[in-house]
Amino acid sequence: MDQLTFQKLILSLQNFWAEKGCIIECPLDLEVGAGTMHPATFLRVLGPEPWNVGYVQPSRRPADGRYGDNPFRLYKHYQFQVILKPSPLEIQEMYLDSLRAIGLDLTKHDIRFEEDNWESPTLGAWGVGWQVLLDGMEISQFTYFQQAGGIDLAPMSGEITYGLERLTMFLSRKGSVYDIEWGGGFEYGKIRQQEEYEFSKFYFEEADVAMHWKLFDMYEAESKRLLALESPLVLPAYDFTLKCSHMFNTLDARGAISVTERVGVIKRVRDLAVGCANAFLAARRKLGFPLLSEDARTKFFDEESRAAAR
Amino acid sequence: MSHEYLFELLVEEIPAWMLPHPGLRDGLAQLCKAELGIDPATSVTIGATPRRIFFRLSGLPAKQPDRQLEVKGPPIRAAFDDKGEPTQALLGFLRKNNATMEHVVRGEQYVTVERTVEGRAIAEILAERIPAIVAGLRWPKMMRWGRGEHAFIRPVHSIVSIFDGKPVAMEMFGVRSSNVTTGHRVLAPQPIEVSSYDDYLSRLRAAGVVALEAERERAMRDRCRELAKQVGGTPREDASIWEQWRYLTEQPGIVLSSFREEFLSIPEEVLITVMRVHQKQLPIIKKDGSLSNSYLSVMDNSADLDGNAAHGNSFVTNARFADAKFFHDTDRKRSLESRVDDLSHLQFQEKLGDYRLKTERIVAIAAAICKATKHDDRDVLHAARLCKTDLMTDMVKEFTELQGQVGGIYARQEGLSEPVWQAIYDHYKPVAADDPLPRGAEGAIVSLADRIDTLVGFFHIGARPTGSKDPFALRRAAQGFVQILLNNANWEIAIGPEQLVDIATDIHGAGNVAKGDLLDFLAERVRTILESEPWSFAYDEIAAAMDARWADSLTDLTARIAALRSIRNEPGFLSILDSAKRIANIVASATPGAVVASRLEHPTELRLHALSTLVSEQIAELAAAKEYRAALESFAGMAPELEKFFVDVMVMVDDPTVRDNRMALLQSVGKAAGAIADVTKVVVDRRELRSR
Repeated sequence: MDQLTFQKLILSLQNFWAEKGCIIECPLDLEVGAGTMHPATFLRVLGPEPWNVGYVQPSRRPADGRYGDNPFRLYKHYQFQVILKPSPLEIQEMYLDSLRAIGLDLTKHDIRFEEDNWESPTLGAWGVGWQVLLDGMEISQFTYFQQAGGIDLAPMSGEITYGLERLTMFLSRKGSVYDIEWGGGFEYGKIRQQEEYEFSKFYFEEADVAMHWKLFDMYEAESKRLLALESPLVLPAYDFTLKCSHMFNTLDARGAISVTERVGVIKRVRDLAVGCANAFLAARRKLGFPLLSEDARTKFFDEESRAAAR
Repeated sequence: MSHEYLFELLVEEIPAWMLPHPGLRDGLAQLCKAELGIDPATSVTIGATPRRIFFRLSGLPAKQPDRQLEVKGPPIRAAFDDKGEPTQALLGFLRKNNATMEHVVRGEQYVTVERTVEGRAIAEILAERIPAIVAGLRWPKMMRWGRGEHAFIRPVHSIVSIFDGKPVAMEMFGVRSSNVTTGHRVLAPQPIEVSSYDDYLSRLRAAGVVALEAERERAMRDRCRELAKQVGGTPREDASIWEQWRYLTEQPGIVLSSFREEFLSIPEEVLITVMRVHQKQLPIIKKDGSLSNSYLSVMDNSADLDGNAAHGNSFVTNARFADAKFFHDTDRKRSLESRVDDLSHLQFQEKLGDYRLKTERIVAIAAAICKATKHDDRDVLHAARLCKTDLMTDMVKEFTELQGQVGGIYARQEGLSEPVWQAIYDHYKPVAADDPLPRGAEGAIVSLADRIDTLVGFFHIGARPTGSKDPFALRRAAQGFVQILLNNANWEIAIGPEQLVDIATDIHGAGNVAKGDLLDFLAERVRTILESEPWSFAYDEIAAAMDARWADSLTDLTARIAALRSIRNEPGFLSILDSAKRIANIVASATPGAVVASRLEHPTELRLHALSTLVSEQIAELAAAKEYRAALESFAGMAPELEKFFVDVMVMVDDPTVRDNRMALLQSVGKAAGAIADVTKVVVDRRELRSR
């Protein structure tokens, strides 16, 4: 295969999943720790509406920063996130086809699905699934969502998350993430190393603790206020929930949250996420679940009224 | 006569640790015995791969044997009319039971019908029962998929169900059975028709799947030895790796790869833990006993033609070790001693303070233990002061399961003495029931101090375990605490649970509110441990001996239980047990005081009193010398005199002073061995008594 570049991988995955009928979304324009927090995942997996989507999500994990020194660890890495709802029975095969589409001859590799369940205490969400190991290296997370925002899901969503740097690094046999080619002859390090250094320094040493706590409180209050409106503004409220979550991650990386405080702060974020999830579901219902086909909508509301009658 | 049934469930990858599912074996065994009339031990073969659960039932009959059925009908006088003709009641009964007059048997009072019921076809029973067994399996973490209509461990794809090659139709999880499965996920994903168990195994083999786990394991073990030999070593023994590997692949493949030699400077414990626990890899040990930088990984592909798997595994391991080396090198820049103050940044528990405070308490408790047991305290206190400092190292933050070990290793590297570094290294031991104890007394003392500090602290703030909830793992803390106190093999910490609770309570400034609860909690652990291997004492022996101040010393407790166990079935002892219970009943409602010798009048009671005084003194002396068996023998020696007393002397006389005095006498006899055990708690098998 040609030398795989970071952007070629992104383009191949986008094309592959677009052809499988996915909407190609854009990254959320807020700081998030994972593609899962994008409303296109966290909120869309709720309720009866079908949803197939793929998108890149830059994911910030302040505590993972290494000042641009460590060849394997980044404060910000890029994920490619796919949601298939309801999860089709052939989802694993589709995933393997996506690897073939980026040029892998799987018969010459070891590919395994090893148990790795996922749980997000801040989102009140969990699922079961695997880490996908290619020749012993984790290249994707594969999760069947069971609950989000404390709500039991049905239909169920299958989530596939590719670690884009790792995959490129591995397939182009580079020993450091900074040596992979992004595109156009530029190395990833040339483009991102300064950012890794500055943000590591910021999150570990410079971030103003008092200000971040204050922002946390303000974002939380705003999120609550928006949810408490007579007609709640769910999506703005959810934005503020994510901002809170990022404040939490920043304070955590800064070492400003003690072990005991931690549980309490996580609960504050979770309460917001649960509030948003419930409000989102109510709002979609009010709109008549517009993504359902006419038949499916009739069937859904019929079944629901029959269940209510019982 | 001999027929075969084959079943396979094809699913998405099941977690290795959940295989094989014990419920399947149990369910099939039950079915074989109850309905199929075959012996499960010889007729059931079960196998699994990550994607398949399959089984064969062999030696099956085609149908169940016919049965003679007797059904009781109406009374005779209601079954026939005056003319002896059958009534409507009888005819209705016959219709209902699908019988005619020729099946009718007239009993004394009732009519019965007797007829032969043809046995059901086995295939029909299987079609009905197998789905109930398979779909009824409970898994540790069930999931839903697709529309969410079904729950299982992972989504179900296909079902093979054939009896002598012919389909036995069934449906579960929305999937209909057939005679078709598929091969290896990437090597041969085509559909495969199967006709029998042997055919199934051989067709799967051709399609890249070794279906039987034992065969996969054998192939992998052979390959491991072969590859390890190439680099001059042998695979490290590791049962837990094999338990996982046998269910991680469908094709048994092993790849040899290596990490950069520079990483061999990282402590071996760290390298091995990272490989075993984090990477599920098998380290290779060289001939001289040292760790090789080559290691083995499992792969679901028997060949690594382009070297991809070797490259991938080295890549990952090198990345992990690069992190570990970075942590190791950074950590080593500071001594453990310099981290003691940092412990104040790490919270132990909100109300119990940070680890700096916990360390101070551990040191104080350890000092008190040394004083009480006359153990030299220099090394103990040094280790106690440093034991938690590794929590502040990057290595332990990353690999938390290495806590203790990392501190011990760093202490060794800093040149601290062996008792000190070993005590730090070992102070979390034993982690589980079958885990080794600390190597030396120093480690044992630090471990005890740490555990009793935790236990007293949590009990004092009211955070004791309830039911299945034990978020702070206090049961495990108590378990290890008891195991250490029970030990007297290479070292013994001669102090009892109660004194330890008192010491820690005092240091916590906690007051005695929770003391009783905590001792009850510890007593529960003591009972559980002594009832299980290797002690295996009976519950009544334990209860009897624990009644005599168990919390003073656990090694003494086991000596007393052992004495009781050795003597409990001897005739003389059985007799005194019987009398002791009788005494307990007599004095149950009374509160007799001391015996007043001058009021004793009957010669038998005078003799008993003299004997009991003598025996009590003897027992006290023997008990002080820990001659418990001899003490109990001495106690048993009173049996004949006591039996004579019951014959000759009346206790419940009218004169209250005489009565009370006799009760007091009896009580003093009954309690003579009270410092060893409350013998009335020993359960006596009545048959044994009678057979005497």
